[in-house]
Amino acid sequence: MAQVHFEDVKEGDEIPQLKKNCSTQQLVLWAAGSGDFYQIHYDKDFAQATGLKGLIVHGALKNAFLGQLLHDWIGEAGQVRRFGCSYRGMDEPNQDILCRGVVTKKYSEGGKHFVELDVWTEKPDGKKTSPGTALVTLPSKN
Amino acid sequence: MADQVYFEDLSVGQELPPIKIAPDKQQLVKFAAGSGDFNPLHFDENFPLLKPMGLTENIVHGRFKYAQVGRLVFALAGYKGRVKKFGVSYRGMDMLNKEITAGGVVTAKRQEGGENLVDLDVWTMDVEGKKTTPGTATVALPSRR
Amino acid sequence: MADEFEITDEMRAQIGVDSEPWTYEVTTTSVRMYARGIGTEDPIHYDVDFAKSQGFRSIVAPLGYLGTPVYLPGQNDPTFGFPRRAGGPRLNIPMKGLLDGGTETEYLDVICAGDVLVETSHLADLKLRDSARGKMLFITNESVYKNKETGQVVAKQRLTSIHY
Repeated sequence: MAQVHFEDVKEGDEIPQLKKNCSTQQLVLWAAGSGDFYQIHYDKDFAQATGLKGLIVHGALKNAFLGQLLHDWIGEAGQVRRFGCSYRGMDEPNQDILCRGVVTKKYSEGGKHFVELDVWTEKPDGKKTSPGTALVTLPSKN
Repeated sequence: MADQVYFEDLSVGQELPPIKIAPDKQQLVKFAAGSGDFNPLHFDENFPLLKPMGLTENIVHGRFKYAQVGRLVFALAGYKGRVKKFGVSYRGMDMLNKEITAGGVVTAKRQEGGENLVDLDVWTMDVEGKKTTPGTATVALPSRR
Repeated sequence: MADEFEITDEMRAQIGVDSEPWTYEVTTTSVRMYARGIGTEDPIHYDVDFAKSQGFRSIVAPLGYLGTPVYLPGQNDPTFGFPRRAGGPRLNIPMKGLLDGGTETEYLDVICAGDVLVETSHLADLKLRDSARGKMLFITNESVYKNKETGQVVAKQRLTSIHY
């Protein structure tokens, strides 16, 4: 992808979407990578015994997907300053998770060019499961 | 940590104190993480290959059982001894949540290349007493002399 | 088809042909994760200071650790993690079933975190057996691990897989 610049962006723009779909193998890979071996993410009997319908995707993995969404958009010359989300709704394996972001504000300060965004993950029915915000810097064409 | 075992402490026919472990799904996922083998055969109850293999439960990684035999001979060697060689064949399957016992027996004691060597038959055994993972090992031990 | 499978001279000619080398960095994190995965709590595998006090270079990799993959996207099998590399045997195996047949490791030195190992492997044996399941192909690969810095052989492994 070509490097995006501060001047290319305006408030209200949606950034390119990132679609994820986690297999149960992916959830185990995340457990391996993150060190979080909580069984609700790969042991269906355990998940159901805690009152869940079935396996759910780790919140932190969705957070990581949003991180990837931003990383892919800002390019090599951009920087993610801050991003976070709340795990409001549950996502399940083998179902599409759509990562999206919309620019809410842009401004320059101290020689740097900042862009604020709303970011979130969304289920196939459009329900937002992990709403959050991000602050990035982008290079200027000047 | 147990006391160091010396070459003179062992005799042929002596059995090693066994190591027991009943791996639950979490343990198998941790093993997948540690070993890099993410075959869903070992943690996904819906994995399509289970039925054609005649299985109703996930099975334990062969290499997990190998590692239990590894723990057994590593404990025998202690920090002053050295495991020279150990190997097993995977003859039977072990199921999730069922106890696995790693055991061994001394079959020979000898000196070679300036080292005091102990040969062993080693195995993991399932709850029915079947040795699903038979093998052999050679351990070098320090001498009291 | 699997039932008509025979071991050919072309396959046998690949026995002993060394693969391209593959590098394994033995790290503290991977040693600890492997130790955790096999259920051991021996501090020699977790505590660097303790391991040094016992005369080791760093924490000791549990036996069985060798072969834990260093995963590079596109270069390793995505499930099992073994490196796909140039050189080494190319066998066309029609059987869909795969089971682990056996593992044997010979140690010439202790493997510790911080070691960088270079491994080459070659096909060591091919055997075809008839069974109730049909033809079963036993493939044995042998790997030699050398310490990258010293060039010394530190371990050898023989891995057998069963294709049916």
